[in-house]
Amino acid sequence: MYNTADAHHPEHPSGIWRWITTTNHKDIGTLYLCFSLLMFFVGGAFAMLIRAELFKPGMQLMDPLFFNEMATLHGLVMIFGAIMPAFVGLANWMIPMMVGAPDMALPRMNNWSFWILPFAFILLLSTLFMPGGAPAGGWTMYAPLMLQTGTAFPFTIFAIHLMGISSVMGAINIIATILNLRAPGMTLMKMPLFVWCWLITAYLLIAVMPVLAGAVTMELMDKYFGTSFFNAAGGGDPLLFQHVFWFFGHPEVYIMVLPAFGIISEIIPTFSRKPLFGYTSMVYAVASIAFLSFIVWAHHMFTVGMPLSADLFFMFTTMLIAVPTGVKVFNWVATMWRGALSFETPMLFAIAFVFLFTIGGFSGVMLALVPADWQYHDTYFVVAHFHYVLVTGSAFAIMGAVYYWLPKWTGHMYNETLAKWHFWLSVISVNVLYFPMHFLGLAGMNRRLPDYPVQFTDLNQIVSVGGFVFGVSQLLFVACIILCVRGGKKAEAKVWEGALGLEWTLPSPPPYHSFTEPPAANLIWAHPYQND
Amino acid sequence: MLQKNFKKALRGVIASSLTFISGPAFAIDLNMPVGVTPMSHDVYDLHMYAFWVCVGIGIVVFGLMLISIIWHRKAAGHQPAQFHENTVIEVIWTIIPFIILIALAIPASKVLVDMTNTSDPDMSVKIEGYQWKWQYDYLQDGFSYFSTLAADSNAASQLDSKLSPESVPHYLRDVDHPMVVPTGKKIRLLITANDVIHSWWVEDFAVKVDAIPGFVNQAWIKVDKPGTYRGSCSQLCGRGHAFMPIVVVAEGWDDYQKWVAAMQTSHGAFINPATLQPEQNGSPVVYAPAELNFNAPTPAPTQPIAASTPVAAPSPTPTIAAAEVKPAGKPTVAAAKTWTMATAMARGKQVFDANCAACHMADGKGNPAMGVPAIAAGPIPNGALAAHITLVLHGKGIMPAWGNILDDADLAAVITYERNSFGNHQGDLVQPAQIKAAR
Repeated sequence: MYNTADAHHPEHPSGIWRWITTTNHKDIGTLYLCFSLLMFFVGGAFAMLIRAELFKPGMQLMDPLFFNEMATLHGLVMIFGAIMPAFVGLANWMIPMMVGAPDMALPRMNNWSFWILPFAFILLLSTLFMPGGAPAGGWTMYAPLMLQTGTAFPFTIFAIHLMGISSVMGAINIIATILNLRAPGMTLMKMPLFVWCWLITAYLLIAVMPVLAGAVTMELMDKYFGTSFFNAAGGGDPLLFQHVFWFFGHPEVYIMVLPAFGIISEIIPTFSRKPLFGYTSMVYAVASIAFLSFIVWAHHMFTVGMPLSADLFFMFTTMLIAVPTGVKVFNWVATMWRGALSFETPMLFAIAFVFLFTIGGFSGVMLALVPADWQYHDTYFVVAHFHYVLVTGSAFAIMGAVYYWLPKWTGHMYNETLAKWHFWLSVISVNVLYFPMHFLGLAGMNRRLPDYPVQFTDLNQIVSVGGFVFGVSQLLFVACIILCVRGGKKAEAKVWEGALGLEWTLPSPPPYHSFTEPPAANLIWAHPYQND
Repeated sequence: MLQKNFKKALRGVIASSLTFISGPAFAIDLNMPVGVTPMSHDVYDLHMYAFWVCVGIGIVVFGLMLISIIWHRKAAGHQPAQFHENTVIEVIWTIIPFIILIALAIPASKVLVDMTNTSDPDMSVKIEGYQWKWQYDYLQDGFSYFSTLAADSNAASQLDSKLSPESVPHYLRDVDHPMVVPTGKKIRLLITANDVIHSWWVEDFAVKVDAIPGFVNQAWIKVDKPGTYRGSCSQLCGRGHAFMPIVVVAEGWDDYQKWVAAMQTSHGAFINPATLQPEQNGSPVVYAPAELNFNAPTPAPTQPIAASTPVAAPSPTPTIAAAEVKPAGKPTVAAAKTWTMATAMARGKQVFDANCAACHMADGKGNPAMGVPAIAAGPIPNGALAAHITLVLHGKGIMPAWGNILDDADLAAVITYERNSFGNHQGDLVQPAQIKAAR
């Protein structure tokens, strides 16, 4: 991929040991990205089984309990295995190059935070082969249902602890890098937006991953050590789990989307050949979203019977999030406005992101209205909502980012025709997959159902077909990546005509240690975000 | 008034146009139902209002994007402008969404205040969620009963079932004993659960309230129109989550009173062995719940429960008449019922299919994946009878304490059935008196 016989480290090991012992930000970024791609297909395989069972009413393929296991693992693997590691991988690759640093600030911890992950997921996935099966209480792991899990229970919780440790270490590393290793002259308000978004995301991670660890540890105590945190008969409260879980869970939603905002804010200006509109308001919008994410958690729990005052408070704060999110969308549209647009694959994914994420945002506003939420809650309307923001939101941003930076990483251009096939198949099938889910939810189909009344059959079949096409289309993504790593047209340092930023001043592929000397001040001043 | 009529007309136009779009193509309406309670109408209006607001914003935002995509293309020779901020416009597009949100929040808050006002009800019903059934407890009238998935849906939903779900009327939306409510009365629902969290949802009422063990939630309904309304559990509650539907029958006050009187006599259809019909012409005995016919005060011919099972003709052989009104929420101890092997086995099969098969499976092979032991050749049904009775009565681990749920006659029947079916040949015939003694 890049020059491994780098002069600074002539003796670094080769073969598998290179990857196990590496402390290089690019190697670790590659490991993160490959791991997340693998998990994307594992979680995707679970989703394919779910959609196959739901193709017809009645149970055809699996026991209802196994269906619940699939739904649970699909959620856990996609969130903690696919989306989060992909963003950390992008951060590893890009942040040192974007702030003008040689590497991440804490390279040894970087190695460890990645290598925890494969073990965490081996633990989690091994529960499929345990007596009693994998966890089947949903990725939200609500007590008391989760306490009915068999042998898998402590393994699942330990796996979640490991994922949390990995995320927190990754976040500490990112904060340390951004705050300490910026090139002279790059003030905070001159940082690329991807770096800003990740800085704020990293603080969210440090704040909430321990909360999740606490919640699942309390479940562990209830099951094995006789405590009654979530057992009403012992003086506890099952709702305590939900409050603690969603205090993690809502910021987690933004952990999975703020880096995506950063990516889109890099791609759209490049292919509009125009500076990002409203840089300052973008930074403040991300910061406000991050703050608000801590005071909206109970909107996941409107049906649990909270007092009226709590329902009103969480409804208003949730609706408030639409304001900074709206500002971001308007800024992206204003960036495109009167630009000189071209539509290479990264831009296609970015435009699809703005369209489809906004649709997810609309259903989000509708879900915030408590009385209406009583009808939407726990139905396919919600499933449609969060897949619009997580698949056509986060996952599309990740795919856009991969196409955007792949020529920089490998030194080769990817195959644009194949990539466009990947985009168009994905964007069409993903809407066939998720859009009818709105109707299913409104008509009364609950989520997490292994079987459903026959009147929902035709729409479920459309959804399943969309799902299968979307799943198969992702093989094209893998093909694009493999072909690009192996060869292709030579990429220039500045891959895209409109690209601005320090990463494009390095050759493609970049040297093993990105900036061994600070970049010249005039390169930073040429950055698109300067205000003067 | 005018505004209200206009709203009604608008609602009708929208509903019919959506039905028109969906009618020929899909089996369901593509929109939320308007429902049959004042609250469900308000919620529908709020939903449509929010929907049109989103459509409006979408047209503006997506329209501007499309204009850019079409006209501001490099390929079309467009030269990029270089502006990158404008304080005035940024302030405007922060304030406008804020105003739109306030315009959404005000009606939403109004409806919410109304929805949470459960004061001054005409009557209350306690609803308790179990894995995987509902219990309805009519507090003022002193009776309660369980409501489980209808036998035909249950049979068709099995993994190896030869029955097609399409052949079952109201597949997964039908129960053995529905909840019955009077129309035009404000009914307070007190919702709780026995084991894990469930959620009681009937879309036509716009009521979805979580049933949480150890806590009681409240909601209220006032049904305008007589009819049968169907819903389901909407919170993941384990293996049987898809298989615990809700059916509510709303009827006029007089019919409702007749139903209450009949229920008080039988104190719960679920536990009334008096309706058990004897074997006839060699066909299997069918449990024919006379209470299901709500509009007739006297027992009438009943619906077949399983499509494949022939219905026994009603015949006048009730052996007992249990007239005791039981205290709310507690199982009734049926009076001196005596089973014969044949009646116990027949009733036992019904009790097993409705209650035990969800975990122990219809073929009695258990569910090792869930840690549920087999009945077929299992150690408990083939072990000491006293231990078997104790386990069923008091439960263990995820096995519920059925002593709190089933009455003595049904417990005796199902234990007899477990010991003499699925290849087990213990030969015991358990009598209700034995269960009573073991309690």
